[in-house]
Amino acid sequence: MIPAVYFDGRSTRAIPVTVWREHSVLLWHTGDRTQHWQSPLEAFEPSARVIGLPYALRLADGAYLQVDHDLLPDDWFPRHHRLERVVDWLERKWPAAMAGVVIIVAALIGLFEFGVPWAADRIASHLPATLEHSMGTQSLAALEGRLLMPTTLKPEQQAHYQAVFQHFVQGIHGLPEVRLRFYTAPAIGANAFAMPDGSVVFTDALMKELPDDQAFTAVVAHELGHQAHHHLLREVLRSSGVFIVAGMLMGDVTSLGGVTAGVPMFLINAHYSRGFEADADSYAFDALAQQNIDPVAFVHAMQALKRAHPEIKGEDKSMRYAASHPMTAERIAHADAASRAFQAHRPASQAKGVH
Amino acid sequence: MLLSLPGGEAIRGIQAMHDETMASGVYLPEIDVAPPALPVSKGRRLEFRGNARDYFRIWIVNVALSLVTLGIYSAWATVRTRRYMHANTVLAGTPFEYLAKPIPILKGRLLTALIFATYVLGGQFFKPAQVAAALVIAVFMPWMIVKSLMFRARYSSWRGLRFYFTDDYGGAYKWYFGAYFLMGIPLVGFSLASLAGHPGLGAVLIFGGIAVIMPWIKGHQQEWMVENHHFGGKSFKFAAEVSDYYGVYIKAAGVAFAWMAPSAMLIGGVFFAFKSQMAVQPKAPPLLAIAAVYACMAPLYLGAWTYVHTRMTNLLYNNAQLGSYRFRSTLGYWEMFGIYLTNGLAVLCTIGLAMPWARIRLARYRADHVEIVGAGDLDDFVRDAFAHGEIGAAATEMDSLLGIDIGL
Repeated sequence: MIPAVYFDGRSTRAIPVTVWREHSVLLWHTGDRTQHWQSPLEAFEPSARVIGLPYALRLADGAYLQVDHDLLPDDWFPRHHRLERVVDWLERKWPAAMAGVVIIVAALIGLFEFGVPWAADRIASHLPATLEHSMGTQSLAALEGRLLMPTTLKPEQQAHYQAVFQHFVQGIHGLPEVRLRFYTAPAIGANAFAMPDGSVVFTDALMKELPDDQAFTAVVAHELGHQAHHHLLREVLRSSGVFIVAGMLMGDVTSLGGVTAGVPMFLINAHYSRGFEADADSYAFDALAQQNIDPVAFVHAMQALKRAHPEIKGEDKSMRYAASHPMTAERIAHADAASRAFQAHRPASQAKGVH
Repeated sequence: MLLSLPGGEAIRGIQAMHDETMASGVYLPEIDVAPPALPVSKGRRLEFRGNARDYFRIWIVNVALSLVTLGIYSAWATVRTRRYMHANTVLAGTPFEYLAKPIPILKGRLLTALIFATYVLGGQFFKPAQVAAALVIAVFMPWMIVKSLMFRARYSSWRGLRFYFTDDYGGAYKWYFGAYFLMGIPLVGFSLASLAGHPGLGAVLIFGGIAVIMPWIKGHQQEWMVENHHFGGKSFKFAAEVSDYYGVYIKAAGVAFAWMAPSAMLIGGVFFAFKSQMAVQPKAPPLLAIAAVYACMAPLYLGAWTYVHTRMTNLLYNNAQLGSYRFRSTLGYWEMFGIYLTNGLAVLCTIGLAMPWARIRLARYRADHVEIVGAGDLDDFVRDAFAHGEIGAAATEMDSLLGIDIGL
């Protein structure tokens, strides 16, 4: 015999009752026994167990019995909500909550470190090349005339660099179709970048800073690394993935506004981008060494970039996780290491006839 | 606790009920045996019984399970956490119930994710697709608002009776779509004035136009929303005057203006502090400075938003009526501001772990400041004749993703 409140589903009248079970039937009556009801156990749909909440034992016609949380006998509805019983058991344990915190942190790291990049890369490898190509032409068309102005390099200079570029590209296998473009871009300054359609863009300011053809080739090699590994498409897909996943997480879990969601997303995207840059750097070192160019040329290119951008001189170590590129000093150190390895192996590779 | 219902004595007193044989079953209490001298009108506060310790464990376990199952479990998690909040909100001794089922929520969530992904990727590969998607969403917004309100009402119940929201799509398109075209009038005025060489006059026109039209739209939106809700065979009525809304927005403008002073001072300080770095990199100000500017804007935004939100909520409840019952909402501006501010800081400082605590204290404050006022015992509601068919969850999932502030 347990106390309960009965609602008949037709009015908001609360009727205090006493409920008891006889075999597979529940019976209940009012305190003064003037009103009686009964219904078989299987006609009830009980609510799932949640800490502190009263149970609602619902009947099909909308009537229900409300039973206090601690009063419902376990053997009345043993086969309902089996999954939620386990969840409820976990929800009552502080160790489970602490484990939950650890699992959430691990799951978020796993999701953004491996899950999203993996899924994005799978999608990228299955997208038709025409899509990547149209993406590149679309963004180049959007930049031309706004950020990218016609180049001021002399035609013979352009022809010279085009020849160096073509010669270098022909020595590399497995590249998609690539082409070299020059632009004047005061807003960007000395820089080079790759577009998804195979365009490698150099700004005039960078061309003025680069000391020699080998430094130019080193930058080309880096940008070809982006092309060879489809970094642009993959980066776009990854950051879209982060946006979608974070959007769904925020909408459901936290409902926090834009700024708070934007900061971690920015950091995650910068993290992916740093990985791609390091990837393109090591591609460049290999490509240069294969064509018998000392990767120290990359050091010269980086130093030229540094001269053109005085603000990166005092690079702040604390900004490392927000930076989209690895720290310049680190990149130079890696290039130096590649250069030493190149010099050490030079006779051997020449003996094998590697060009 | 369940037997000491506030209305318990009266319930036992009114035993002779007779059933009027209407399809919906209307009960008429016979008052002759009622206890003597019932108070003419009494207020019943909502009571919130949840606590942050229990809710934290529920929340964290459910978030962890949702992540581990790659979001599949999130529908079950949503039902459990929402049930906790609903069932701990108690009116006259009886908790509210949340009745939605996980599977429809999961379906709605998957559809929402698909639309969202199409929108995001469309922007990267094919801009017109994104523009088209945005237009479609804008056109369907009022429809989504109706569906979302229908879902919320359909799956909320009290004492065994469900709430109901009328499928008034026409009204939704009128007040959440058509009405915004009126905003075009000040815009046209602005363009004409600018063309005529009076941009100053144009600015006055646009500001004045918005000031006249906006409160009017908001007032009608509230009225539409309240009057389409039904419970227990009765329809909600709404009695606010448009002038009330002008009052709220005029004062809100004043509040925003007052908050501008501290925000402006803080931003000035930030610019001064980062002056040296700004000079070197005019195009890329340091990240810290951007964060600082956001932090300085926060009090202005929070201060003004909280004012509008608090006053509009009070207006909504204080002008709503259900049968012989009225509502009284006494949310205080500074109390709400304090709660939002400390909640926000706590959530930021604990990287989200304080979220359950923040939700619980907001729910408690809100419940403590809403009263139902009326002479009856709240047991004179009866089942209505509405069909109460199942409602899909896609719209309500979409609106929680987009963060549409329906304002309930």
